Amino acid sequence: MSDVAHANAAQGGSEPTEPWNDVREETNAATFGMWLFLGTELLFFGGLFLAYTVTWVTHPKGFVEAARKTDIWFGTVNTVVLFTSALMMAMAVRGAETGSRSLAWRALASTAALGAIFLIIEGFEFSKNVDQNLVPGPAFPINEQGAEIFFSLYWIMTVLHAIHLIIGVILVARFALLMRSAPLDIPDLPAYGLYWQFVTTIWIVFYPLLYLIGRAP
Amino acid sequence: MSNGGSPNIRALWLRNGAVWLALLLLLALSVGLAYSPLGGLNLAANLSIAAIMIGVVMFYFMELRRDSPLVRLTALGGVLWLLIMFWLTLNDYFTRLS
Repeated sequence: MSDVAHANAAQGGSEPTEPWNDVREETNAATFGMWLFLGTELLFFGGLFLAYTVTWVTHPKGFVEAARKTDIWFGTVNTVVLFTSALMMAMAVRGAETGSRSLAWRALASTAALGAIFLIIEGFEFSKNVDQNLVPGPAFPINEQGAEIFFSLYWIMTVLHAIHLIIGVILVARFALLMRSAPLDIPDLPAYGLYWQFVTTIWIVFYPLLYLIGRAP
Repeated sequence: MSNGGSPNIRALWLRNGAVWLALLLLLALSVGLAYSPLGGLNLAANLSIAAIMIGVVMFYFMELRRDSPLVRLTALGGVLWLLIMFWLTLNDYFTRLS
């Protein structure tokens, strides 16, 4: 450990882990690593966007007819919830940076809570869709070609997003607990902030694709 | 050490709150445009707004405006690979459609 790192730890800051010389270096590395990971995540979700584009172009009629069946209220309210959680996450990272422990842990706890609220609302949405048989299979109500593919994509996209969010809620809740006593300059925190914001940006693309299509008169 | 009431924190709330408000206004605009008769351009309009929202989140909430050129390049790199994937696949599908 370098002299800088000793001084930082002595003042109640984090100690860097090997091989980093100081916390700042470790934070930068974690941020860089997270962006690399998010690049692979973008390609992962990008495959779904691509499948969506191809099916939409090849079966426009059934696609739009199916898309009208999604509930815009659930989608819109959840978008607002997610935007608010993104605000809380940004405040948590900056709060920790400016040395405000109370802001940091409260904002993190709010982020996790809002993530959980999103999942609960989405649960109601899923149950409504299942009640209306909007699941590809023999009971599917729309007979147009491409309609079932839309709902296949709907389920894959929303469930994969929900899994990402569940992981996020667990990680952020853990950080909220840590933040009540641990040093404020936890090197991984900005990186997990990036993960949370990424999950929000994926939802920003999902929202028009799943909830806004085919609403115009 | 500053706490919840310091001017520093207040400025943070004001700035990030303004970003949040901008996102909500863009969302409202998006919904409004989705229900407007735009003659088939609705999805294009909505995706354009989505692109602006993503830009806002990346620039302000993900702090790309403060990051080093290396990190910005990495973020752009992901988009580049995505474009290559779309470009190659759609080249194939769209030339075989008719």
